[in-house]
Amino acid sequence: MSDPRDGAIDPGSLAAPASMTPAGACQPQTLPAGLTRAPVGVNSLATEHLILNMGPQHPSTHGVLRILVELDGERVVAGEACVGYLHRGIEKLAEHRRYSAMATLMDRGDYVSGIHNELAFALATEKIMGIEVPRRANWLRSLMSEVNRLASHLVWYGPIGLDTGSMGPFLYAMRDREVLLDILEDVTGQRMTFNYVRPGGVVADMTLSAEKKIRAFLDTFDQYLDEHIEILGGNEIFQARTRGVGVISRERALAFSLSGANLRASGVGCDVRRDRPYAAYSELDFDVPIAEEGDVYARFQVRMEEMRQSARILRQCIDGLPEGDFTAKVPKVLRPPAGEAYAAVESPRGELGVHLISDGTDTPYRMRYRPPALYALQVGESLLPGCLLADAIVTLGSTDLVLGEIDR
Amino acid sequence: MRPDMTVARRILEAAGVSATVADVPVLGVMCRVSPEESRGALLALRDSDLGFAFMVDLFGVDAGEAVDVVYHLRSLSRDEELYVKVLHAYGSILTSMWEIFPAAHFPERECAEMFGLTLAGHPNPKRLFTTEGCPPYLLKSVEIRTAEEVRNR
Repeated sequence: MSDPRDGAIDPGSLAAPASMTPAGACQPQTLPAGLTRAPVGVNSLATEHLILNMGPQHPSTHGVLRILVELDGERVVAGEACVGYLHRGIEKLAEHRRYSAMATLMDRGDYVSGIHNELAFALATEKIMGIEVPRRANWLRSLMSEVNRLASHLVWYGPIGLDTGSMGPFLYAMRDREVLLDILEDVTGQRMTFNYVRPGGVVADMTLSAEKKIRAFLDTFDQYLDEHIEILGGNEIFQARTRGVGVISRERALAFSLSGANLRASGVGCDVRRDRPYAAYSELDFDVPIAEEGDVYARFQVRMEEMRQSARILRQCIDGLPEGDFTAKVPKVLRPPAGEAYAAVESPRGELGVHLISDGTDTPYRMRYRPPALYALQVGESLLPGCLLADAIVTLGSTDLVLGEIDR
Repeated sequence: MRPDMTVARRILEAAGVSATVADVPVLGVMCRVSPEESRGALLALRDSDLGFAFMVDLFGVDAGEAVDVVYHLRSLSRDEELYVKVLHAYGSILTSMWEIFPAAHFPERECAEMFGLTLAGHPNPKRLFTTEGCPPYLLKSVEIRTAEEVRNR
């Protein structure tokens, strides 16, 4: 296998996606070439086009996402993703928060992986201020990140089963996720919005009971993961619904700035944890799984393998957790010097970045949150024309959209 | 991680773009170009031998009387990053780069609606998050109301 990152890519060589041309933007009058609208009563195979609003309150859109599709029978002719139903202006609110209070706000961005959001902001702040984080805090950050990643991937795994008509996996996914949320609650006090990672370190140390729970979880998880893969991945219907469906080519993935597991499923081995190590990842041993096909099944395989790697990292973290402080000594009110910094973490959805601009006061001048799912949604939107409606749902679901992060 | 400043300057000069290239302490290499030349600069950087073909992000920053539109580019083959900053006056036209970087599609819409810019050459120049009629509220000059002000409205 050649190095997937060699050579320069020319995004301009890609044909413009049909949904992005002005004519393709859901105009009820336009019919595809060769089709004429049949008068009533005339026996013709041509069907009248239907404009359908999927969402924003529909479970198959994975949040408050509205997809406007123009249908010719079962086939999508054009589609447009309409977002903004969960827009709270987090970037603006950040300009009126002190640095230490930002963790609570970041949690509400991508609410399925709060630890990663907090971590990205904390890393950016530490970069500007030049804060040295204690080793134990770094290991705790990695540890909690992986617990959160497992919990988040299970939230992806359950609903992708529902999207393809399989109810069972959801129940098993929630069974395992419950244990992970218990662990997170034990350490941070919260199940979803953790408020755990702060500039300088973390808020609380590892507890004995959480350590016991993690060890108990790791004892069974590898076997459970094999079951997960067997139940859904081994299912013939699931394979038929996902193999060759929603194919994102390597060129398209790069042109649309895809990141994370979606990019790795298209054959590009980029992982922030390995390429730009943060927290304790430079000291930890893990593999970056890659698939070449770029279809929904490849994304399933990559995410499942990532969960195995997460469990592997978790085992190393819990065994090798160094002694020491869990937070550095930082002033109560942080006033970073004027400057800019960009810090990225590998969230379950991809490269989650925070571009922080400080003007020397106790609130950020500008906080830009790079949402990986927003870029994934653009790819999903560009894949809509030409596919079946049922496949469109699977394709969008497989890119792991969280609307809290897209809308911010 | 950060490319050589002279290399970035050479690429932009070869493309006939007058740019100020600076090394920002924590961040990295920052190229400042004018709005008229921004398209040429991005095209040159993408097609150069450095291959800055991956657009990490696009966003606006309030710069007092104008908006800084920031293009964050990355070269995957060399693992290097640089930033291109373009200063746009409020209410001016933001030329779409989606043909060069398809990923700019949504972020450009967001940037335009948040800072009151007008999109040109964009396939779908609608608002992304807010409804029609919302003021460009992310501006630094617009203060968030205090709770008392909202209550006594």
